[in-house]
Amino acid sequence: MGEFLLNNLSDFWNLTGFANASATGLIMILVGILFIYLAIRHGFEPMLLIPIGFGILIGNIPFDTNAGLEIGVYEEGSVLNILYQGVRQGWYPPLVFLGIGAMTDFSALISNPKLILVGASAQFGIFAAYMVALLLGFEPNQAAGIAIIGGADGPTAIFLSSKLSPNLLGAIAVCAYSYMAMVPLIQPPIMRILTTQKEKLIRMKPPRAVSQTEKIIFPIVGLLLTCFVVPSALPLLGMLFLGNLLKESGATRRLADTAKGPLIDSITILLGMTVGASTQASEFISWSTLGIFFLGLVAFIIATTSGVLFVKFFNIFLNKDNKINPLIGNAGVSAVPMSARISQNVGLEYDPTNYLLMHAMGPNVAGVIGSAVAAGVLLGFLS
Amino acid sequence: MNKRTIGVFFVLLLIICPRAEAQGVKSVRINEVMITNETNFQDNYGVHSAWIELYNSSFGSVNVESCFLTNDKNNPKMYPIPKEDILTEIPPHQHLLFWADGLPNRGTFHLNFLLDPTKENWIGLYDANGITLIDEVTIPAGILAADQSYAREDDGSTNWVIKGQDNRHYVTPNANNMTKDSNSKIESFKLRDHSGILMAIMAMMIVFSCLLLLATSFKLIGKISIWINKRNQIKSKGLSNKNEVKEKDFGNTPGEIYAAIGMALHEYQDNVHDIEDTVLTINKVKRNYSPWSSKIYTLTETPRKH
Repeated sequence: MGEFLLNNLSDFWNLTGFANASATGLIMILVGILFIYLAIRHGFEPMLLIPIGFGILIGNIPFDTNAGLEIGVYEEGSVLNILYQGVRQGWYPPLVFLGIGAMTDFSALISNPKLILVGASAQFGIFAAYMVALLLGFEPNQAAGIAIIGGADGPTAIFLSSKLSPNLLGAIAVCAYSYMAMVPLIQPPIMRILTTQKEKLIRMKPPRAVSQTEKIIFPIVGLLLTCFVVPSALPLLGMLFLGNLLKESGATRRLADTAKGPLIDSITILLGMTVGASTQASEFISWSTLGIFFLGLVAFIIATTSGVLFVKFFNIFLNKDNKINPLIGNAGVSAVPMSARISQNVGLEYDPTNYLLMHAMGPNVAGVIGSAVAAGVLLGFLS
Repeated sequence: MNKRTIGVFFVLLLIICPRAEAQGVKSVRINEVMITNETNFQDNYGVHSAWIELYNSSFGSVNVESCFLTNDKNNPKMYPIPKEDILTEIPPHQHLLFWADGLPNRGTFHLNFLLDPTKENWIGLYDANGITLIDEVTIPAGILAADQSYAREDDGSTNWVIKGQDNRHYVTPNANNMTKDSNSKIESFKLRDHSGILMAIMAMMIVFSCLLLLATSFKLIGKISIWINKRNQIKSKGLSNKNEVKEKDFGNTPGEIYAAIGMALHEYQDNVHDIEDTVLTINKVKRNYSPWSSKIYTLTETPRKH
């Protein structure tokens, strides 16, 4: 009887986290705690970093992978694995885009369509990072999955990497969301360095009021034009513009409210948690993860730089009354609305009465479209 | 827009969309055929028979139940593929093999006709209506030796070749006609664009042209909207003097003005609310008695016990 008890207790011990703990797993748990700390203490994108941070804890609780308990995120049939399929198969990103569409007011863009080009220019960060990734020895499909981090769009990064480089998905997703949380630290110094005092003080013409008809036409024409050129961006852009039509039509208020409220919240929780859980130390801690984090930073810096420089270049061709303040160039990345808020805050530092927020929202939402188009282009070329 | 313009528009649309086609049973292709099988693939009875391979060229599963396979142009409904056999569903880019052994009693995949090695063999696949021809192939008489197959060079491609002649062109029943161990697109980029510059140039051109198209369209739509807005306002105000119209600059009113008006209205309504004679108090509010709110009339009385 004593032997029976000892054997069973010994078996149980072998199943516990203590018996299966590894140094790398503990490092990941510390990273998860750091994410939660940054989110709560410093307010870094708490809606993303708390689910991701906690997901990292869930994904790195050590257990005996040979016991067949069906609990791990990579074990087929486990609850976590079922939830992870939304990331793995790319279901969550289009649903997030539906919510983003229902939240986004495109009127800043419609009233001043030239700002769309600022959103296009910032996508250079993606392709510059692609070149650097190739230089570091990544395969073209892996390089594309990593480079899309430069679009500063978590759902797009997950969508593309799930198609092109699924083995790097966890690292790419965590990297994309981490840098999105760090946009307030990365972008302002670049904006300050690249602009002159005179440029920082440029006051932009207030945007005209946009009629509801124009707002309704926008998602329809937007979808047709962009997806006829890049059909591979259809899942993302289709849902984005559908969400926006639900909002602007005025006839589907309940659907729009669901898309921008309970739906996107539910998906954000599942997305964040499963992305975090997918960072199991055995899969996550590697040199390629370090490379991805480095490339992600490069992509963000180049995207911000190209957005700001493009506005400066564009200003050469604009008359005095229509000049664009280059401080909104950073908003060409699609971290909505954070990068637009950064434009506003940096602008206010130099002129407390110069409100750039609404102007910056134009390139910011154009960045969402631009990064989805860029993802579609990469998918079209490399899938 | 008159009917002629609409007609021209649809014709143009059809011209620019030549490749639009539905996915479904029409994506199924006759992919490979073996007429004389001596030592090749065996059926589940251990017999070497002639076989016909179908291939689903689409990215969705396709069920070929109720479709017809035939070797007689005058009898399109020669072999109806039986219903309610889950194995007739072909997964995306997968294959299905039928045995042309003339023994349909042996199961779903055994056809009721044979292929004749001495003659030209025509094989057709018809839709469930028995009229729409989905795919066909004609194998010229005498071109295939024993254990050789007539196959599409790559799965679903238009080029047909003879397989089984040498080790390079091997017969592939129920398998891909061409083995692909790498992604040709990725390999091509690796070979021709190892630095990624060409990709960056092409992709930025596409992103820019796509968003430029959007910007131009909305510049135009914006102008039309301003013009309509201006015209409506002029009409409603009954203005006719051009100078006066120009001075008022209808249609270009900045959103800030509307925001200011909205804010003013909001504040005004707040003020109106503030001067209401409602008082917030912790004192008990005296209410006049009303039988409508009296509990005694709304409760059911319990009958007295005697």
